[in-house]
Amino acid sequence: MNGISCSINALNGLYDISGVEVGQHFYWQIGGFQVHAQVLITSWVVIAILLGSAVIAVRNPQTIPTAGQNFFEYVLEFIRDVSKTQIGEEYGPWVPFIGTMFLFIFVSNWSGALLPWKIIQLPHGELAAPTNDINTTVALALLTSVAYFYAGLSKKGLGYFSKYIQPTPILLPINILEDFTKPLSLSFRLFGNILADELVVVVLVSLVPSVVPIPVMFLGLFTSGIQALIFATLAAAYIGESMEGHH
Amino acid sequence: MANMIMASSKHVITTIVVSSSFPSTPKLQKTPQLSLPKIPTLKSISLLTLTSLSFAPPSVAAEIEKAALFDFNLTLPIMMAQFLLLMFALDKVYFSPLGKFMDQRDAAIKEKLSGVKDTSEEVKQLEEQANAIMRAARAEISAALNKMKKETQVEVEQKLGEGRKRVEAELQEALANLENQKEETIKSLDSQIAALSQDIVKKVLPL
Repeated sequence: MNGISCSINALNGLYDISGVEVGQHFYWQIGGFQVHAQVLITSWVVIAILLGSAVIAVRNPQTIPTAGQNFFEYVLEFIRDVSKTQIGEEYGPWVPFIGTMFLFIFVSNWSGALLPWKIIQLPHGELAAPTNDINTTVALALLTSVAYFYAGLSKKGLGYFSKYIQPTPILLPINILEDFTKPLSLSFRLFGNILADELVVVVLVSLVPSVVPIPVMFLGLFTSGIQALIFATLAAAYIGESMEGHH
Repeated sequence: MANMIMASSKHVITTIVVSSSFPSTPKLQKTPQLSLPKIPTLKSISLLTLTSLSFAPPSVAAEIEKAALFDFNLTLPIMMAQFLLLMFALDKVYFSPLGKFMDQRDAAIKEKLSGVKDTSEEVKQLEEQANAIMRAARAEISAALNKMKKETQVEVEQKLGEGRKRVEAELQEALANLENQKEETIKSLDSQIAALSQDIVKKVLPL
């Protein structure tokens, strides 16, 4: 009994020291539903950054590009290369989807790591990368699912469903399972990476003097960039896989 | 499962709050033990830890917030809609215009490159034409030269022939003259010989 009282007091003390807020959201009410306002706010900032910089840099395209235009051309070529490698010759219509996927996730992750969100105090919860919320990542994964279904159906019609019994009908349950595991793995991979990186950095910053978290922050930048690339490449791969012809 | 435990512990705590005045620590410790049925040790320990962790410091109101990591709500469709809007906007502003510009530039460069290759062929053609013309001109020249040569040769031979004929004619004349002279001389000599022989006879023969 007394032991329990001591432990509860100690835990109270720890609760006061640690400023880690996990799973605390800033709720808004829209209609009869709740939303995570911090995710919406940060996603608006990310969208503003993307659209603003694109508009400014691509305003008057020159034959010999300026620095900004050159950078955006490089990004577009990179995205086209990823799409072309994964999807094949008919990659053209899918470049906006894959490109937006890559750019949104990349800028979200890096904005969460680099921008000083702590300056803005929310009544509850805090601002961070929009991809550290399960809603965002599942939304992106579901969109990818819809995209590859749409790709397969629009290219092959109802013959698309024959892929479930290829190469042998014994694999039918596995193929059906794949349709669930693909979006699940996509969303959880991204969510886990970003949330975990944020947690590690926050915990280190709150426990240890200032220089030590910096390598972890660099690692976070690196892995979050890779995660954006992985998400986009896998999305393109699933689309390509749906669209590919007969073996 | 975490949510379930949180929910169940929340239920326990709200009953505590309702049933008694707010926190005097020992009293709270007693009541969980009274109201809980007999449960296995691990579950009781985990329940107690979660209860204590979720126990808010006295300054906070009685409402306790669940840690909500897997909290799906309207945010999900809103993010989907935002992403689709972003995709269309980015396509209109960045992907399509820049992509088209880059493709045009590549096509223009390719055209210029292939155009350069074509011009070099044209140059070769022109060169060959020039050579052909040169050859034709040289052939013409040599033909004309030959013709001229032949004509002049004919003329020269003609003149030569004429000259020879003249020379021959003169030769003949000269020969004829000579013969005439010879005959005249012989004739004159004959007469002189005759006179001379008369003289000799006269002189030689004494009277």
